[in-house]
Amino acid sequence: MKFIDPHIHCVSRTTDDYLFMARAGVVAVSEPAFWAGYDRSSAASFGDYFRHLLDIEPKRAAKYGIDHYSWLCINAKEAENVELSREVIKLIPPLLDNPRVLGIGEIGLNKNTRNEITVFEEQVEIAAKHNQLILIHTPHLEDKHKGTAIITSILKNDKRIRPERVLIDHCEEHTIRIARENGFWA
Amino acid sequence: MLELKTMPNAESVLDHQYLEMRWRALSLAADLDRIQRAAGGTEVIRDDLRLFKLRRVFELLLSDTHDRAEQVQMILSDATPWPE
Repeated sequence: MKFIDPHIHCVSRTTDDYLFMARAGVVAVSEPAFWAGYDRSSAASFGDYFRHLLDIEPKRAAKYGIDHYSWLCINAKEAENVELSREVIKLIPPLLDNPRVLGIGEIGLNKNTRNEITVFEEQVEIAAKHNQLILIHTPHLEDKHKGTAIITSILKNDKRIRPERVLIDHCEEHTIRIARENGFWA
Repeated sequence: MLELKTMPNAESVLDHQYLEMRWRALSLAADLDRIQRAAGGTEVIRDDLRLFKLRRVFELLLSDTHDRAEQVQMILSDATPWPE
């Protein structure tokens, strides 16, 4: 059976992982931009990361017959620094025409703070302005239900956002209903 | 072609899960004992909001209900307002 892995962070995967994925039938992968395991010190680091996602990783995947696509954003874990986030967000629009880009993601919340909400809203603005698909990250460590409710409320209040163009990831028993009943993918 | 298998019945699900469920129950009991034995344990067991929520969870687990996981998640969720 052939299948697509809809959420994988290949930059932290070994070439052996690509080999095993190919053997298992993976023909394409979708890689959301995320945290590197540490907070990056400048927007330039994100510029290199986006180049890795759009140039390096597709070539690495292609060696195993796998088609690699990415989502771009500054992730919620690093969004507490609003000033840095805004510098990173400026890097994204010029990259959106790249055929390897699927949309904006995974954006969302991590600890449900005011700063995270600000950066989330500014990235939703980029998605709306450029008619991009959106991939949502919901909190793992802080409160998932509260974070998902905040995220879906912001998305629903923006009339430019069509729920059928938004995928809400990491849903659990108590949050999947919020996502599905509002018309989002989950 | 893969052979389609029927869904397992409740007894076989329990057979499969029972040892996991048993150690989780023992682990919770040991955690509560550890808290109780520590200094101030009686007060913490009686008054701590987190344990109050867990007590509600335990009551739910003993009830005859559906969607236990969803209800437990809701009991443990944060109902405070958004950040200003």
